[in-house]
Amino acid sequence: MAHTRRELLWNMGARFPMLPLVDLLSRDGFFTRRLDAAPAARTHFPAKAKHCVFLFMNGAPSQVDTFDPKPVLDRFHGTPYKGDLAVGSNGRPVGYLMKSPFEFKRHGQSGLEISSLFPHTAKFADDLCVIRSLYTDTAAHASGCLQMNTGSVLIGKPSLGSWLSYGLGSANESLPSYVVMIDPRGGPIGSASNWTAGFMPAAFQGTLFRPAGAPLLDLKPPEGVSGAQQRQSLDLLDTLNRGHLASHGGEGELQARIQSYELAYRMQTAAADAVDLEKEDAKTRAMYGLDNKLTADFGRKCLVTRRLLERGVRYIQLYSGGGHIEDTWDGHNDCITNHRTHAGETDQPIAALMADLKRTGLWDETLLVWGGEFGRTPTSEGVNKPGRDHDWHGFSMWLAGAGVRGGQAIGATDELGFRAVEEPWHVSDLHATILRLMGLDHTRLTYFYSGLNQRLTGVRGNVIEKVLA
Amino acid sequence: MGRAAFAMWLAAGLAPAAAPDFARDIEPVFKARCHGCHAGRAHMGEFRLDSREAALRGGGSGVPAIVPGRSAESLLVRYIAGADKKMVMPPAGPRLTEAEVRAIREWIDGGAVWPATGASVAVETKPDPRNHWAFRPRVTVEPPRVKNTAWVRNPIDAFVLAKLEEKGMTPAPGAPPAHLLRRMTLDLNGLPPTPAEQTAFLADGSEEGYQKLIRDLLARPAYGERWARHWLDVVRYAETNGYERDAIKPSVWRYRDYVIEALNKDTPFDRFVLEQIAGDELPDATPATVVATGYNRLGPWDDEPADFLTDRFDQLDDIVSTTAQAFLGLTLGCARCHNHKFEPLLAKDYYAMVAVFNGLERTQRGRTELDVPIGAREEVARELERDRVVLRAEQELNEVRQLYRGLPVMPLLDRAAALQQRIMTVRQERPALPRGYFLRETKGSHAATHILIRGNALNPGPAVEPAAPLVISSGALDIPAPVGASSGRRLAFARWLASAGNPLTARVIVNRVWMHHFGEGLVRTPNDFGVMGERPVHPELLDWLANWFVDNGWSLKKLHALVLQSNAWRMSKQPRADMAALDPENRLLWRQNPRRLEVEAIRDSVLAASGRLSRAMYGPSFYPFVPAAALEGSSDPDKIWKPYDDEAATRRTIYAFIKRSMIVPLLEVLDFCDTSRSSAKRLNTSVATQALALFNGDLVNREAGHMAARLEREAGPDRAAQVDLAWRIALARAPSAEERGAMLRFLEGNSLKELCRVIFNLNEFVYTD
Repeated sequence: MAHTRRELLWNMGARFPMLPLVDLLSRDGFFTRRLDAAPAARTHFPAKAKHCVFLFMNGAPSQVDTFDPKPVLDRFHGTPYKGDLAVGSNGRPVGYLMKSPFEFKRHGQSGLEISSLFPHTAKFADDLCVIRSLYTDTAAHASGCLQMNTGSVLIGKPSLGSWLSYGLGSANESLPSYVVMIDPRGGPIGSASNWTAGFMPAAFQGTLFRPAGAPLLDLKPPEGVSGAQQRQSLDLLDTLNRGHLASHGGEGELQARIQSYELAYRMQTAAADAVDLEKEDAKTRAMYGLDNKLTADFGRKCLVTRRLLERGVRYIQLYSGGGHIEDTWDGHNDCITNHRTHAGETDQPIAALMADLKRTGLWDETLLVWGGEFGRTPTSEGVNKPGRDHDWHGFSMWLAGAGVRGGQAIGATDELGFRAVEEPWHVSDLHATILRLMGLDHTRLTYFYSGLNQRLTGVRGNVIEKVLA
Repeated sequence: MGRAAFAMWLAAGLAPAAAPDFARDIEPVFKARCHGCHAGRAHMGEFRLDSREAALRGGGSGVPAIVPGRSAESLLVRYIAGADKKMVMPPAGPRLTEAEVRAIREWIDGGAVWPATGASVAVETKPDPRNHWAFRPRVTVEPPRVKNTAWVRNPIDAFVLAKLEEKGMTPAPGAPPAHLLRRMTLDLNGLPPTPAEQTAFLADGSEEGYQKLIRDLLARPAYGERWARHWLDVVRYAETNGYERDAIKPSVWRYRDYVIEALNKDTPFDRFVLEQIAGDELPDATPATVVATGYNRLGPWDDEPADFLTDRFDQLDDIVSTTAQAFLGLTLGCARCHNHKFEPLLAKDYYAMVAVFNGLERTQRGRTELDVPIGAREEVARELERDRVVLRAEQELNEVRQLYRGLPVMPLLDRAAALQQRIMTVRQERPALPRGYFLRETKGSHAATHILIRGNALNPGPAVEPAAPLVISSGALDIPAPVGASSGRRLAFARWLASAGNPLTARVIVNRVWMHHFGEGLVRTPNDFGVMGERPVHPELLDWLANWFVDNGWSLKKLHALVLQSNAWRMSKQPRADMAALDPENRLLWRQNPRRLEVEAIRDSVLAASGRLSRAMYGPSFYPFVPAAALEGSSDPDKIWKPYDDEAATRRTIYAFIKRSMIVPLLEVLDFCDTSRSSAKRLNTSVATQALALFNGDLVNREAGHMAARLEREAGPDRAAQVDLAWRIALARAPSAEERGAMLRFLEGNSLKELCRVIFNLNEFVYTD
């Protein structure tokens, strides 16, 4: 529900979300909103990262095949699971324990163990901070994606990117501050509820951005309207609107709306420029895998990501996998082939992004997060079928980049890889940690709505201190 | 104690001493182990253990920590004994010894005698929360005396003017008739006045003409279509469930139609309340009142919940939280896990309202939701019997067909023909009843509702009876005899909600109506009248209006007329620097508030201007145009949306399909409401993506072409005449010479269609004067 003085101030902000803003609301003791130029002065903590890139492995990657080696599984391969955990989801058939077909090796000086699915990412082992002991509250994709993105299994809460846009403001004038790039096979289950601003103003919601052609909806003039006509039409609109404004005493709302058309016009050029990869040299394009059919799509998204970061976009979420089951990381039928495909599509582009961020210096101000909505069972789904079912008791994700202590694995699952047992960290703890790295205190970043000071972390959340460099 | 004696004592279960003494056995333990966090100023979890009263009241969970005489039911004992794995007290240091726990148990079982000692501190007395303005009964107020009596057209003006005069301020002059015509038509009908209506109204110019305009606009079906949308925001209306499958709620549009019809009929608001919450339990229930109870089933719903019991309470929470906000302006949902942190609302109040709705069941087959036949009990029973007969016949028919597959055996063919005949006959004899989308109580008995400790469905506390929140009622409900299998609880609760003595219901709805006429409510937090909500600057006016509304039969149409007759409503929207300096937020109402039209009114105005607006009312929703690129965000891009039907898409926006996981981009970008919960007020933002949608998007460019054709048809080939008509249709006025000149120059190098596109994007098009 709207809140008067706060809402009024908000509206002033929301009308110019692409402009640097003065701190309107800190006087209100309400939250901190700052000019990008002076981040340290306005965030709760000195911000380690200015931008965040969430590499969302949609469908849930298997921990025991990626970042959580379980040699014990080799020994018990083909035997039934005898533990007391609820296995899998929705009464799908439970098979036998299944070892990982992917070989784990130690990498880098840290010796971090990474499976053979990620030969490129493994080169950055000393930069990765793997959390092996995450858990979540649900075994269903819809609520799992919602929880990972909004902190709640129920729809309608603002997403992480909205909280960051709200808390930090935008750092650019001609692009959205929160961008989502989905998989060409479809969006995540729950679609837009994953990048909604919930009860916050729509200006804070994620904007779907296509990494080619017209990146934003309605970005281009309609068919048959030339560039010159578009400009003439906008000029007439401006003339008439300014006359109207003058006869209405310079009303602020009307002024803001006039400006939004100029911003939109600038956005037409700026957004198209951001996805114009012809401006990148052949070597860069090859590094991201644009010349290879398997990696071209995710590579394009990663390269566009770097270009968006350069342009000051605050939060970018990339989805690997879309639609259902095997088109995502949801390897119910054949987790081995599935993960080989999806890791193959993403591994090189992600490594290229890391290398490129280091080259450009953006590494020092960008936080990378890799993972899905939960993990997968160490058991097969059904007998003689190499699928794995959902596991929400324990799973792995990694963080890297600004403010992150790389080359380490935090926490542990049990010896089979089922459940987080050492230092179990809830999704809300991950959120608290991400906010911390962005300079925000998850207990103080609040939005008053429906009688409560709402938080991304609800009533939970502890910063995972070991992550911090 | 010797070893043998100790063993005996264990075996016998006897205490070594007499009954525990508070000062000797209990208080030292509390002091040493509990008071660090739960005494004096420290009251973690809002719990204090330094007085009997505080201990009995319990902490923030709303559950008593000590129930004298019943240690087993005492939360304190559960926690110190380690019976609750999630909450063990003390949280740090060694656990209490067995002897200490036993002593506390026995002390409680003995009545928890707590003599006053110097160490115990009295519980602070807080100001009585019933004194919060909104919880007090409405007062009878007389309109205040004012100096400028000439400005007072009705009592509303007296209240507004008195506050202004107090500060030495003056109200804005009245807006000119042309502005008032456009403002009122859009306010009441969500559409611009036609050129013919403009001519007629301006030619009349009398006060009687103004009154007639109010009556005419309220009498049009477009009134219900406009104002039903405001109500749909409040009741979280959408046509799918959200979550993974985001399945369509079958027949839910009948609820939307019910609201439109109820408003057009001017159903008294107290009756409107009864129908939505308990329309099935009313003594004079009709199919329409049963459809109205679809209200209870509008919320989002996860058909694959992580935990079924938790999901059950999530569903009830949706109803309770919405009901508390929509009708009472209370954020009761916050009391689900603990007593409200800011409001005098208890967890007990919350679960007492859960108990009101706890008998409701969702009709479903597996994950699939079903709509429900509407009719008298006997009719529904007959329908179910009919369905059973048909199902049996169909099953047998299938079996028979399996048997004779490839074998034309006469007896089997005869049997098949007979079965087919039977099915047809039954269907003809008993045509299907209309179906609606609502929850029902069918079991006839009710499991008890418990307070859930920390909101955890797996952790039930004491049982509660259905009741109204204590801070504004006596709590008890006058529950009638069960209505068939229905408990009558909802009817009792709805009667309390809609009673004249309820301090909130009338205030809350009057404030909503005011907000839609003035851009801001008298209470600017229309879903929150609690301590944390904003206090009204004009509480007397609010009470006067609420009283007037109740005295006039809770008639919304009469209330609209009263507001629109006032000079306050007729004030100009022009900024006034001198007044803004004194009251920048216009709380004292020194002018009308400018506010951009809602997306529905914008879209409908575009269609009205292009001449294509369909006036077809009611029925299943249409699917507005959605660019293919927007569908890519779905996990089922091919199935999510129906192909665009240009004719259907000329219907008013209230008939547009609302899918929770994919709100139509044009609506979403233009501040459509949040559909996951009650939404009191549309946000009002201006962002670049709105400009892109309205300037480059499908709707405006498609309708610009149609409007251009209309202009050529109606104004002939003369450019100036076309321009003038365009202005009249879209803005209800003629262009100035300067404006006309700019447009004519534009037309030298651009088409009429391009001009219409510009007009749809004008500030003046999306604002009223």
